Amino acid sequence: MDRQQDFVLRTVEERDIRFIRLWFTDVLGILKSVAIAPAELEAAFGEGIGFDGSAIEGLTRVVESDMLAKPDPSTFQVLPWRGDRHGTARMFCDIQTPDGEPSPADPRWVLKRTLAKASDQGFTFYVHPEIEFYLFESPAEPDLPLVPVDSGGYFDHVPRGTGHDFRRAAISMLESMGISVEFSHHEAGPGQNEIDLRYADALTTADNVMTFRTVVKEVALEQGLYASFMPKPMADQPGSGMHSHLSLFEGDRNAFHEPGADMELSATARKFIAGLLRHSAEITAITNQFVNSYKRLWGGAEAPSYICWGHNNRSALVRVPLYKPGKGNSSRVEYRAVDSAANPYLSYAMLLAAGLKGVEENYELPDGAEDDVWELTDAERRALGIDPLPASLDQAIAVMEKSELVAETLGEHVFDFVLRNKRAEWDAYRSQVTPFELKRYLPIL
Amino acid sequence: MTDAGPDTRPPASRRALLTRAGFVDPDRAIQLLADRDLVALLGEVAGDHPVVDVLSVAASPDDALLALTRLAAVNEPYRTVLHGMLDEDGDARDRLVAVLGLSTALADHLVRHPEDLPALAEPTPIGADGADVRAELLGAVGADPADPAPVATLGGGEGVDAMRRAYRRRLLRIAAADLTSPQPLSLLPAVGSALADLAAAALETGLALARADVPGHAAARLAVLGMGKTGGRELNYVSDVDVIYVAEPGEGASEQEALATAAALAAGMTKACSAPSGEPALWPVDAALRPEGKQGPLVRTVASHLAYYERWAKTWEFQALLKARVVAGDREVGQAYTDVISPLVWKAVERENFVEDSQAMRRRVEDHVPAAEADRQIKLGRGGLRDVEFTVQLLQLVHGRGDPTIRSPHTLSALQALSAGGYVGRDHAARLAVCYRQLRVLEHRVQLTRLRRTHLMPTAEQDLRRLARASGMATAAEVDERWRTVRRDVRHLHEELFYRPLLPATAKLSVEDVSLSPEAAKARLSAIGYRDPVGAMRHIQALTEGVSRRAAIQRQLLPVLLGWFADGADPDAGLLAFRTLSDVLGTTHWYLKLLRDSGIAARRLAHLMSTSRFVADVIARSPESVTWLADDGELAPRDAERLWSEVDKVLTRQHDPEAAATLLRALRRREIARTAVGEVLGSTDVVAAFDALTASADVVVRGALRIAEYEAEHSDEGRLTRMAIIGMGRFGGREMGYGSDADVLFVHDPLPDVPEERAQAQANVLAQRVRALLGQVGDEPLLEVDADLRPEGRNGPLVRTLGSYAEYYGRWSSPWESQALLRARPVAGDGDLGQRFEALVDPLRYPAGGADPAVVREVRRLKARMEAERLPRGIDPARHLKLGRGGLSDVEWTAQLLALQHAHEVPALRTTSTLLTLAAAARAELLSPDDYRQLREAWLLASRLRNAIVLWTGRVGGRQADVLPHDRPSLAGLSRVLGYPPGSGGELEETYLRVGRRARAVVDRVFYA
Repeated sequence: MDRQQDFVLRTVEERDIRFIRLWFTDVLGILKSVAIAPAELEAAFGEGIGFDGSAIEGLTRVVESDMLAKPDPSTFQVLPWRGDRHGTARMFCDIQTPDGEPSPADPRWVLKRTLAKASDQGFTFYVHPEIEFYLFESPAEPDLPLVPVDSGGYFDHVPRGTGHDFRRAAISMLESMGISVEFSHHEAGPGQNEIDLRYADALTTADNVMTFRTVVKEVALEQGLYASFMPKPMADQPGSGMHSHLSLFEGDRNAFHEPGADMELSATARKFIAGLLRHSAEITAITNQFVNSYKRLWGGAEAPSYICWGHNNRSALVRVPLYKPGKGNSSRVEYRAVDSAANPYLSYAMLLAAGLKGVEENYELPDGAEDDVWELTDAERRALGIDPLPASLDQAIAVMEKSELVAETLGEHVFDFVLRNKRAEWDAYRSQVTPFELKRYLPIL
Repeated sequence: MTDAGPDTRPPASRRALLTRAGFVDPDRAIQLLADRDLVALLGEVAGDHPVVDVLSVAASPDDALLALTRLAAVNEPYRTVLHGMLDEDGDARDRLVAVLGLSTALADHLVRHPEDLPALAEPTPIGADGADVRAELLGAVGADPADPAPVATLGGGEGVDAMRRAYRRRLLRIAAADLTSPQPLSLLPAVGSALADLAAAALETGLALARADVPGHAAARLAVLGMGKTGGRELNYVSDVDVIYVAEPGEGASEQEALATAAALAAGMTKACSAPSGEPALWPVDAALRPEGKQGPLVRTVASHLAYYERWAKTWEFQALLKARVVAGDREVGQAYTDVISPLVWKAVERENFVEDSQAMRRRVEDHVPAAEADRQIKLGRGGLRDVEFTVQLLQLVHGRGDPTIRSPHTLSALQALSAGGYVGRDHAARLAVCYRQLRVLEHRVQLTRLRRTHLMPTAEQDLRRLARASGMATAAEVDERWRTVRRDVRHLHEELFYRPLLPATAKLSVEDVSLSPEAAKARLSAIGYRDPVGAMRHIQALTEGVSRRAAIQRQLLPVLLGWFADGADPDAGLLAFRTLSDVLGTTHWYLKLLRDSGIAARRLAHLMSTSRFVADVIARSPESVTWLADDGELAPRDAERLWSEVDKVLTRQHDPEAAATLLRALRRREIARTAVGEVLGSTDVVAAFDALTASADVVVRGALRIAEYEAEHSDEGRLTRMAIIGMGRFGGREMGYGSDADVLFVHDPLPDVPEERAQAQANVLAQRVRALLGQVGDEPLLEVDADLRPEGRNGPLVRTLGSYAEYYGRWSSPWESQALLRARPVAGDGDLGQRFEALVDPLRYPAGGADPAVVREVRRLKARMEAERLPRGIDPARHLKLGRGGLSDVEWTAQLLALQHAHEVPALRTTSTLLTLAAAARAELLSPDDYRQLREAWLLASRLRNAIVLWTGRVGGRQADVLPHDRPSLAGLSRVLGYPPGSGGELEETYLRVGRRARAVVDRVFYA
């Protein structure tokens, strides 16, 4: 038994933890949890905890339902919202097949495998996400109109704002779970908030995103509110994105930074961006996985609908943030398509794979876009060589289906599952008759 | 001069003299001997100077003479020293000549530093105390050896050069002692220790130099752990010195400070040893064995090391740690490190993937040797040093958990301890030790020549000769022969050491052999991959007990077989199958003799039995197949002609129909066995296997028809009709697998003047008889002859006349029948009738102007419906090899549709073979080269997998026969049948899914376009 496992066992004893939740994520990015008692911990570390995976989206193939969840002791945290006495703690798990091999369907494994590939080339991949979400008055149900908790705007300080209290509570809870928060503010939409997590390696960040979503939902519940990460809950308000700042390190050195180069961007960074751009359409079904995602992506208001990059251009898909002299290690690129409902493991795996492809194959970076690409005409965009991202889940699936990069990165199993699942979602969506149609056509037809 | 001086001798005889003295280039030697400085040094002598005799014992007299000539130019006082050494017989002269004769690098050193000549004047007791050497080197840089953290007072480049000079002076003395030893093999361990101590002293001195450059060096208590040969105290002359750094804070320093300081010290030490300076660098200091390798921090604390090894380390890292030993720096910190790490080493064998890891490590080593060098590698090649070390270390890891006495990091000591502990046979251990010493001595000599880090046997005759003479042998051929013998012995001894002791005490071949305790045997068996060691021990016991000749031979054979089974996918099954076979065949005179005498047969048998249940089974039923294993010619598939001539003879001499049919079926069983064996051994590819399986079906169908016709001829009414059998489906396409039925059509043509009803009745009897002869249950495998593809299917008559076919196809034929007829191939019976049948169906299958759009549409629709309906429920379409995504039927239908559309204009498409159709389509540019490649690849892989499933499971047919399995053990087994390296199950799965997906994309585009 190693030290971290010892630490977990000791803490469980000392803090009188009564349940340990084993967390893992299905292929769609939904958090799953198996609770075990402290007595089962040792076995969990040893052989893992068996469970029936057949009910979990994408996790198992039809005939093998038995899976093992093997907790990662380095992710042990006491859950603050479960109270101090008789507490509950959680650990993220790796999913294994009964033979002890990593399950090909475990998104965490997909990311780990991709990170290992980067590490073979001497790179570590860091991500810091800016996560947007809405706070609604409870109950927030599909059949009722949504009532945001306030009517503030970007960076507004809302006096005695519910959101304010909420953010304070959420942040202190996140911090108590060891997740550092960089920044938080009110976003553009009413009741919309943004919380930025501090940068960390991609696996930790993905774990943190999963924890974050849970914490935000829990805190909202405590305050009688409802928090939602739906990409576009209200047609006339901005959607919720998860802009992700990406950087590669070689040892202690930021591989994106090169003093004196144009925008201080190294050749590696330029190729990485080129990779992101060239493969962005293929990976959209991963970074924007729901029908609703495309309502945000094509909802205007600076949404990154067009494949281009720019220096501090808020309409570009890839933005290179303003460089602060002397902060070489903060060089990074921001990928703006990802939304708050994405599966962070798969999304970060795909972003990394796309960027690395650019580095490996020396992609040429096209010229940056200086204009607000939304204000250009279609003809102008064509002239500039700026293509759009897929406009719907259907289109995104069609592009991804042909992508060897996605198939290779996700592995054949996850690739196949995502395609099937997304096709089914699209089919279900297409068969709907929406209020829009009724309102528009019923009176006249 | 008129006396008989050197110049008056006839040159030829002087040349001869020098040649006899061992000079390769006597002309050059004559020139050198006349060198002014040399003559001045040696003094003028009549005739050849006695120095020629002296030089004649050198490894290379030519090199020695050249070096001596260069040295002759030295100034006083060294000239006197040199003169003194040469002038009298004695050890000093021997040492000088031995060094100059082998090592051009050390000769260069002496020319540059004649002040080191006196080092050769005194004998060096080898294996001198390491502390002395340390003091010597530290002294050279003005550091105090008594100080636990000595600091150099002579710093910078000067210090570095002083250290390196001191190092080389000491190296010179070791080499001299080594090369003049009458028993270099005996001296070898001492030489290795001396070199390791010298390297340790250099590291310590490098550290002293680094301290002088790093202010506040006391912040870090840095210890340097030697790994590999340095750690084992068995270093060679030139080698990377592998190290790991560990540091703890000095008094009052924070951990961070300490690590930063330690890293600076380590860098300084490395620089002192390896960076360019006035004196040549010593060797690279390699810290790549540290946690996380080159990605990881250079220095860690003890706790940080521990955390890493507890959590992340791989099996090979523990094997490396077995050698860790403090060699320089802070002893206490180093000790603290070894105290916490070494328990982990001895638990490594409990790790989950120990078996796979250690096998993978071994393969990695062998794979890393470039093929061109594999045959000359003293270290890494087969039977090289690494093999010896690997064998010893594996045994240490397996048994060291419970027995601290065998944990020495020193290879030879460990081997001795293993022998003393009863883990390996004493005699075998002693022989392995000799091999190891011999290899090391050769390696040392090779390295000394130019002081280069090389492990390659030289190839040039002259180099080999020098090596031979430096190693106590005479000729190039002799050293080459010795080297080959040693390598062969090492491989053999590995088996003997590792597997022989697994045999029970009753099976000892000599008193020197040992037999492991049950516990130790269990540990060893499971460490090499037997999942049921207790069962395995039972089989071993059964195979070796008793006084029979069989048991005696098996006692000889089994150790090596146990190793070979362990290399297979299922060692337990291999051993069990061998036991079964031995029960069947053990008393036949040739079986064990063959295994004993033909290494390749035994090796192949072991591979087959532990890889394929199907083959284990067919071998047990076709025992003669064992004899093929020694003969590649027998493993090659037999063509139909050769098989038919055999059938012909059988039918000519055997008149009882049932008995004749049984013989035919036995022949087919034998050919199935031959094909299966060839496929698992990788000598028969899948296309050849299909061909062979089809050929054997062809001849038995032909034979069966001949039997039936013979009966008809001898019946009361005599022959009334001629018959032909048309192969369809995979039979027609020559693509039969192990479980394929023979799809056929029967066609007949009444003899002149025979009423059609009577002819039809006889034809029916003939067809029924063919099916019965081949399909009846019996001892030999049956061949189902299936005529369901006939017009009107099961409702139609079993046999039709050619005219009836013509009438039917003229009126009714549907698209699927045209498609099926693409595979029609006359197989048996009347050749002329067969051809007429083909001519009849050609317009259907190769329609003029290409298939009608309506037909094309119908074929597409049929396929789409089949995809929806035929696929068994609950099976993932991506994994169904026949009907699934990118599976056989996807590719075959695409090929067939292309043929229907284009065969009228592209004659090459008129073939029953899927691959030939695809190739023809690609040549005619009906398929892009890329599409062709992907369809072909998918079809071949699916075909190989279907055969592999039969070979691995031993089961023909069944629900899972066409499905890529999910479970890891099956995938692993299949991948082995297909010839992938171990551990490729996941890769195989991923490969198939990818290939299938890509092929399906082609099918979507080409077939459904």
